[in-house]
Amino acid sequence: MIDFDQLDKVIHEKARLSIMTLLAGHDDWSFQDLKSELGMSDGNLITHLRILAGAGFVEEERDDSGSRPRTTYKLTKPGRKAFKEYIDVLEAIVRAAKP
Amino acid sequence: MTTQQTALEHLRVIRSLLEKSQVYRAISAPAALCGGVLALIASAITFLTAGAMGARGFLTEWVGILAVTSAVNMFMLHREARSRSQPFFSENSRLALALRAFTPPMLVGGLLGVFLIWFRGELALAALLWILCYGLALLATEHFSPRSLVRLGRAFLVVGGFFAVIYFTQPDLAAGGKGAAVASIFLGTTFGLLHVAYAVAVFVRTPAPQIAET
Repeated sequence: MIDFDQLDKVIHEKARLSIMTLLAGHDDWSFQDLKSELGMSDGNLITHLRILAGAGFVEEERDDSGSRPRTTYKLTKPGRKAFKEYIDVLEAIVRAAKP
Repeated sequence: MTTQQTALEHLRVIRSLLEKSQVYRAISAPAALCGGVLALIASAITFLTAGAMGARGFLTEWVGILAVTSAVNMFMLHREARSRSQPFFSENSRLALALRAFTPPMLVGGLLGVFLIWFRGELALAALLWILCYGLALLATEHFSPRSLVRLGRAFLVVGGFFAVIYFTQPDLAAGGKGAAVASIFLGTTFGLLHVAYAVAVFVRTPAPQIAET
């Protein structure tokens, strides 16, 4: 029996799932872009990014070479793998329900 | 809601966000490819005909390329806004932000370049000005642009700076009617090759995970 217990608990939260999805679609997202795309507050977004970084799914990169520092985020290899596995479990749940 | 319905809903949300992120990020690539290919063709023609079209013909040619590429870019931006159910242009839209950052260096470089060509016939110098000001314009958008676009801006400044050193240290380079050929090399390398390289880099980036239709 496939169920939600097999889903990664770090990813299985609406805000973090949205962040992971955007980063999976294209890496190199700036903090401002993520905030604007997801409509989240600074505090909320940074909290979820820290949880994802703590799990080793997301890495932060700081670029101080320009006139203002720029922080971008991207998925790590384990993060991309975990996201793929998360989708696989969801698809397996849906497939199992089909007659 | 059953477990299956919840899973289905999650997959729909993921697919929708993935589509958004891809359209949002890839948008400048088709315009860059179009502009790059047109610039390469125009540069080759100008180089091979040794600038037979004259300074004003040269200017018309490049203003035409700018117009076509801008139209393609506007079309892509409009399509993106429509797919996201967002207004094409509003006071705080990304397009408005981009225009505010992009316009000053483009206006200064563009107009000075036109004056240099129209009144002085300085094609190579005008080309250098366009390249460097375009690089500055791209860097001015760094706070809301993907890093790939910022890298493109830096590449324009580096290559443009290199060409400027060559141009000013080799006084005979653009003399004797060779201005059009030199300008076409400058413009073809930057607006042509760099734009095509940028578009290819965006197109071949790491693909997003595929989600089966449910």
